[in-house]
Amino acid sequence: MSWMHTVFALILLPAIATGMFRILKGPTAADRMMTAQLFGTCGVAILLLLGTGMGTPVLLDIALVFALLAALATMTFVRRTWQYSSKRNHGNPIQ
Amino acid sequence: MEILYNSGTLLIILGLPFFLSGTVGLIRFPDIYTRLHALTKADNVGLGCIVCGLALQSASWAVTAKLLLIWLLVLIASSASCHLIARSAMQKNIQPWTRP
Amino acid sequence: MNYFILTLFDIILVLTMLWLAWYLLNTEDIFKAVVLFISFGLLMALAWVRMRAPDVALAEAALGAGLTGPLFLSALRRMNRTRKGERRLDSDENRGKDPKTGPKQE
Repeated sequence: MSWMHTVFALILLPAIATGMFRILKGPTAADRMMTAQLFGTCGVAILLLLGTGMGTPVLLDIALVFALLAALATMTFVRRTWQYSSKRNHGNPIQ
Repeated sequence: MEILYNSGTLLIILGLPFFLSGTVGLIRFPDIYTRLHALTKADNVGLGCIVCGLALQSASWAVTAKLLLIWLLVLIASSASCHLIARSAMQKNIQPWTRP
Repeated sequence: MNYFILTLFDIILVLTMLWLAWYLLNTEDIFKAVVLFISFGLLMALAWVRMRAPDVALAEAALGAGLTGPLFLSALRRMNRTRKGERRLDSDENRGKDPKTGPKQE
């Protein structure tokens, strides 16, 4: 019966792959960063389902690391990259 | 035990459309705030359904506790980053989308 | 049955990674390339899982999501400040010159 979990993981994989369009055409930088967050959440779900489907419970630990470090990139982006590129400097690629 | 396993499978199947609708919302919605709404809410409900389904099917209590811990961490991370992005976008004067 | 579905999973994963790597190498916007690199790290962790190497996947998840992503984003901010003409740590000898053109055009 564990092949059903693999089917569920297979269904979730195109959800990640189509999220890439938003990285390619997102108007603001935050849209691109939000897509990385979507990749994190979907990646956790895929890892949980694959851990049951492949019969390797070690994947729970990898999902735990994903969940712990998911917010780090977004917070660095908001605090460091996006904050200081305000209206003072036009011609900046990061808007 | 068969009832628990089958209801877990049902919960996982229930969680999959939330993920797919979150991705569709991320691609189709017109504004950064609506995209944040689709991303952080729908995806976390989907992950919650999947975690509850896997917890019903799991063999031991340790696995169940670890699954719930994963869900809690994802909830904290995504709500915190959603709040940060939305507040920073308001500070940068990005106007919310209104129906033309 | 399980083997067949896992093979299909691998094919979709590899195609997605190739597509992503193509755009990552071709794009001109540096910030887009950084976000694509973070996403590539996440998919690479999934690929290591499928190659039955969960320890490497653990290291890849920790390094890709926790270390190189914030490091690249901080470096991007430093690059923008340098482009604006502020002082950089290794450009003390160019202090008297025109701050717009940095140490490259001398």
